[in-house]
Amino acid sequence: MTYEAPLEKHPVNIREVVLGEGEKAQKIGGENTFPFHSFEGSLPNPPGLALEVLDMQPENWATWALDPFKDVSSDPVEWARKGVEEYGAEILCLRLLSTDPMGMDAAPEEAAKTVRKIVDSLNIPLIVLGTGTEDKDSKVLIEVARACSGKNLLLGPVLKGNYQEIAKAALEHGHAIVAQASMDANLTKELNIALCKFFPPEKIVVDPTSSALGYGMEYTFSIIESIKQFGLVDKDKMMQMPVFADIGIECWRTKEARESAEQGILWEATTGMTFLLAGANLVVFRHPEALRLIKSMISY
Amino acid sequence: MILIGEDLNVMSNAISKAIKEHNAEPIRACVEGQAGNGMDYLDLNVGPQKKDPAQTMEWLVNTVQEFTDLPLCLDTTNTVAMEAGLKLCKKKGLVNSASGVRESMETVMPLSKKYSAALVLSVINDAGLPSDADERAGSILESLEYANELGIANEDIWIDPVLMPVGVDQRQILSYMEFIQMIPDLAPGAKSVCGLSNLSYSAPKELRGLLNRTFMVIIARYGQDAAIVSGFDEELVRLNKGEMPEIVNLIHRAMDEEDMDISALSGKEQEYVKTTQVLMGKTLYSNSWLEV
Amino acid sequence: MALKGAEIMKMLPKTNCKECGCATCFAFAMKLATGGVKLDDCPYIDPEVKAELEGAMAPPMKLVTIGAGQNAMVIGEEEVMFRHEKTFFHEPGIAVLISDKESEPDIDEKLARVKDLRFERIGNVLKVNLLALSNDSGDGGTFETLVKKAYETTDFPFILISEDTDILFSAAAMCADRRPLVYPVTNENVSASIPKLKELGLPAGVKGESLDEVIAVTSQLKDAGVEECVIDPGSRNMLDGIRDQTLIRRAALKKGFRPLGYPTMTFPCFMCRDKYEEALAASALMTKYAGIVVTSLTEKEFIFPLLVHRFNIYSDPRRPMTVEEKVYEVSQPDENSPILISTNYALDFFIVSGAIEEANIPAFLCIKDTGGIGVLAAWTSGKFTGEAIAEFFKKYDVENKVKHKKLIIPGVAKKLKDELEEELPSWEILLGPSEASDIPKFLSEEWKV
Repeated sequence: MTYEAPLEKHPVNIREVVLGEGEKAQKIGGENTFPFHSFEGSLPNPPGLALEVLDMQPENWATWALDPFKDVSSDPVEWARKGVEEYGAEILCLRLLSTDPMGMDAAPEEAAKTVRKIVDSLNIPLIVLGTGTEDKDSKVLIEVARACSGKNLLLGPVLKGNYQEIAKAALEHGHAIVAQASMDANLTKELNIALCKFFPPEKIVVDPTSSALGYGMEYTFSIIESIKQFGLVDKDKMMQMPVFADIGIECWRTKEARESAEQGILWEATTGMTFLLAGANLVVFRHPEALRLIKSMISY
Repeated sequence: MILIGEDLNVMSNAISKAIKEHNAEPIRACVEGQAGNGMDYLDLNVGPQKKDPAQTMEWLVNTVQEFTDLPLCLDTTNTVAMEAGLKLCKKKGLVNSASGVRESMETVMPLSKKYSAALVLSVINDAGLPSDADERAGSILESLEYANELGIANEDIWIDPVLMPVGVDQRQILSYMEFIQMIPDLAPGAKSVCGLSNLSYSAPKELRGLLNRTFMVIIARYGQDAAIVSGFDEELVRLNKGEMPEIVNLIHRAMDEEDMDISALSGKEQEYVKTTQVLMGKTLYSNSWLEV
Repeated sequence: MALKGAEIMKMLPKTNCKECGCATCFAFAMKLATGGVKLDDCPYIDPEVKAELEGAMAPPMKLVTIGAGQNAMVIGEEEVMFRHEKTFFHEPGIAVLISDKESEPDIDEKLARVKDLRFERIGNVLKVNLLALSNDSGDGGTFETLVKKAYETTDFPFILISEDTDILFSAAAMCADRRPLVYPVTNENVSASIPKLKELGLPAGVKGESLDEVIAVTSQLKDAGVEECVIDPGSRNMLDGIRDQTLIRRAALKKGFRPLGYPTMTFPCFMCRDKYEEALAASALMTKYAGIVVTSLTEKEFIFPLLVHRFNIYSDPRRPMTVEEKVYEVSQPDENSPILISTNYALDFFIVSGAIEEANIPAFLCIKDTGGIGVLAAWTSGKFTGEAIAEFFKKYDVENKVKHKKLIIPGVAKKLKDELEEELPSWEILLGPSEASDIPKFLSEEWKV
């Protein structure tokens, strides 16, 4: 028996999505092979690694999760700046936690002002996330879209119940969106089909929702793997959007991450690495050390 | 294909209320409607029936038999209700259902034997739902052996491979199709039956019939003998009777992956072709599969 | 299994003689495919066809056992590239590296620490499985001292590592009853190793600088009758490791290429710049097909995430993960603490118990066996109804655990509230939040005795 390397080629690509605008814009996706399989296909863009910023003082975070930002945690603009300048983040993810209707319930205009300030002071790609509350998010994200017209933000999560309004505003003001359908490839496809009737597919990133190590990580892992297979192997056009994973928030609420700094950082980094191996194209980290670790490991 | 109407079901509020109040009129409407549409059997689904199981089933069987001569398929997990119903069946009844789960084999199978009723036997066993065709075969062989030893012949056994919703696990549909083709070799003489409507569970309501009907045509081609179906679906009955040969033919061509110009087809034909492609696993299912 | 029932059927005599106990040859073929019967049960099969069938039915990836008795580590016989296609079957071994160059106190401390790397998680024990004992001193006596100590003070299976084949096998002979994996067996030493491997009955850790080299060695071993191998393709960085292991598994599973049909071993301990990287590389390599990862890590903070990671990736996606039915005490509750109830779906349990801990309010968490299905589906199928929960209350004497009579139920189960008010008339039923993440808020605001 002679050995011939069993290489697999796929005639299609995951769509390439651009985040941000100008010099510091970043591309994600575009690959025609499985993650890190540069030996049999092309991966033109490294995965996007984003750092999370809250628009309000975090409550109840583990000390070591807050430590890197404790001097700036009450000021989202300074927090963002520190993330970029000190910790080398190339993409930021601003979570508009202040708008949570169950919490502070800040007005959309307030939130949009914060976003605009960050965009103006740091010209780097920015993901802006609402709180997953359909009604409120559509008000908030539409306001953000308007306030930052032309900045090509990535806005999300866009859900079955509010995709029309948000996607319309994103289209009008030139932003990309995160389409979220929880842990189900069929629902992911359904939402994409609905969106693509009026929204350009190359401005969609999909979010199957993330779970942390020990808390259902394997479900997210397998759903990402299967989304990528539907896209690359079955050539399903509606499944060729890059995949987004928002892991910091999930990892840092586990008791294991709150037990010690080392374990917390590894909890987040392990979850992130696992999703990258499944095919995630854009991952949001909370701890700069977890992000740094992953970055150094996938680029040597 | 033998069609078993499913609409006498306690999950329906109207039926549930009629059974509780012993009100025969809504039952009559449901029986006569399904019989008139051409059902071969009627399924009487009383669920777990925790309260007064025997009396409830007795009343229902007697009431239904006042309005129809069709044979009955008794659908309950309560063995007391099952036995009470079997005693009253005028025609050879169908026990729905036993499985390879130990308790079911020990309590339900003997009822089928005692009342000489046919038996729906599902592939579920103590390990749960088998995940592929070979596992289904392994499971059914064991429970068949048990049934045969009890004296229930293959001819009286209707094998239920368990049809999962297309929106839950599309691959299960393929292994379902693979499995029904094995049945004649695995269990000569036995029939195959399924709960067809489960296929479209969680699909948009107005599209469920399309999924169910298309799948019926597909599995009929693979030798499926019977299905529990929506008793009021007229198009389903017409397809089954061979009154819509052009649609059946189109579904067969789509199954064979014949090259066809979809845009040249009528709207309805397109729907059947797209649905066939989804059910054959050619494209990933989503609730908006017709819109692609 | 490598062959489907229908394919086996083609090779059977099709006599339908029933002498095997099956009704038809087809039934026999199906049972054979799922392991229910043995090929020997067929009295009419042609011996040549039988041999061919046995060959074809052999799993495309060998099962390899390292160690003996209850601590033996079994790896290999995987069937899929992606866990959602079926499941991953045999958890990879995590081996802790100990060098004979380390000082005696260091070795003692390490051995003690490794023994403690055991954790309970939903009724499963998560632990380190192997010791990789490495002869870095180059001295036979020093190595034997290490092996002897590990043998006498632990019951782990071993991987024995030495570049000196004589030292390797004389150490192996000392602990052959524990069935160590000997490493490396290479192009250079394979001829000398074969008689010793056969004499001692040991599995071989094959190392090559390339896959071609590996193939040459495993082929030679196979021809000589050494069946159990573990492959190290020589990769010494994470991304190369992922590439090699992907190709090895593909060649075995998708091409049926027997010379690579073995589990693999990898060395994150030699791939990384620090402990964090090593832990991450180990978890990445386990995700992408390693049969064994050798690590130098022994700290709980680094090993525990790795163990949980392995547990997650190797859980069976076809079956819901469950926890034991009982009344769990979260952070030492007392008679005034709240009582919550949920299903035994493991994720529900983790998320709810985690949320209670986060709330910092000790509580009783009643976990009802629903066969691992979630609240709504369990309610529909009768496993999480008012009646079922009332039975649970009786069975576990919930009433006498607290002084109050308030039960918090999952917010999604609105109909359950009415049922429970009927079944447990003396209790006040509180509808909790729909999302577990709102539990801390709910408890801190709503909970009063």
